[in-house]
Amino acid sequence: MAYQMKVDGIEEISAMLEKMDKEAAGIAAQALYDGAGVMAEEVRKGAAAIRTAPFKYAREGERLPSPEEKEIILNAGAGIAKFDESGTEINTSVGYKASGYAELNGKVKPVPLIVNAVNSGTSFMKKQPFIRKARNSGSPKAMNAMKAKITEAFEAMTKE
Amino acid sequence: MPSEYEALVAALKLTSIPFAEYGWKTRPEGAYGVVSLEFEAGTLNGDGEKGDRAWEGSIDLFYPKLSDRTDLIDEVEETLTEIVGDSWSLNSTQYETGTGLFHVEWVFQCLDTPEEGEADGVPDEG
Repeated sequence: MAYQMKVDGIEEISAMLEKMDKEAAGIAAQALYDGAGVMAEEVRKGAAAIRTAPFKYAREGERLPSPEEKEIILNAGAGIAKFDESGTEINTSVGYKASGYAELNGKVKPVPLIVNAVNSGTSFMKKQPFIRKARNSGSPKAMNAMKAKITEAFEAMTKE
Repeated sequence: MPSEYEALVAALKLTSIPFAEYGWKTRPEGAYGVVSLEFEAGTLNGDGEKGDRAWEGSIDLFYPKLSDRTDLIDEVEETLTEIVGDSWSLNSTQYETGTGLFHVEWVFQCLDTPEEGEADGVPDEG
């Protein structure tokens, strides 16, 4: 005994899958950009909350960052690195790696060094881990933003 | 205060390195450490209640002599493993040109509800 099966629309599904295959990388990049934007905003909020005190030399104990140091961090802003595509992965990072230099107390210093001193602390500066806090609070929000972008893109594709 | 954090602080104070919580008013001579509890890193919620809460904190070790590095780092890492298992990572290493101090930073996560059978969390001797 033989059964006959008939499926309608297989050509349309096949065409859509082919289109998805071609556009998946672009959609992933858009989603990653949205997620990275959310993380950058979380870092900015963390930087805005850095506690400061007027500059003093801390020869014995610890000091807080000066308002000038905070201003440099806020002006630099957390950047999104160039996307790195390898195989089926696409990656980026958010931070201050390419934030250049700034003048502080008459000396030119790398911005990442100032950020690191605030974020990780030093023997003379109390740490305020605003980047780790941003990673912790921002990761779920970034994941949701990326998921929303991917869902939106695939819904648009299936309606075409 | 998370019980694992309290156990970690107690265990760090038993090491050969002087440790303080959140910082020193006057920096000690030689190697020293700082341990801090920083923020809530995640919580298992259910039935309208907060369940197990994970907290994130960090340990900073400062030391002036590169030759001390291995022993001091081993001592901190063994203590971390004893108390929080593998819930820690080495976050950064730096050298301060101004003070000549090396700075190593670890990040750990700890719970405020210890596992059964780990009542006090203080490492065993020997």
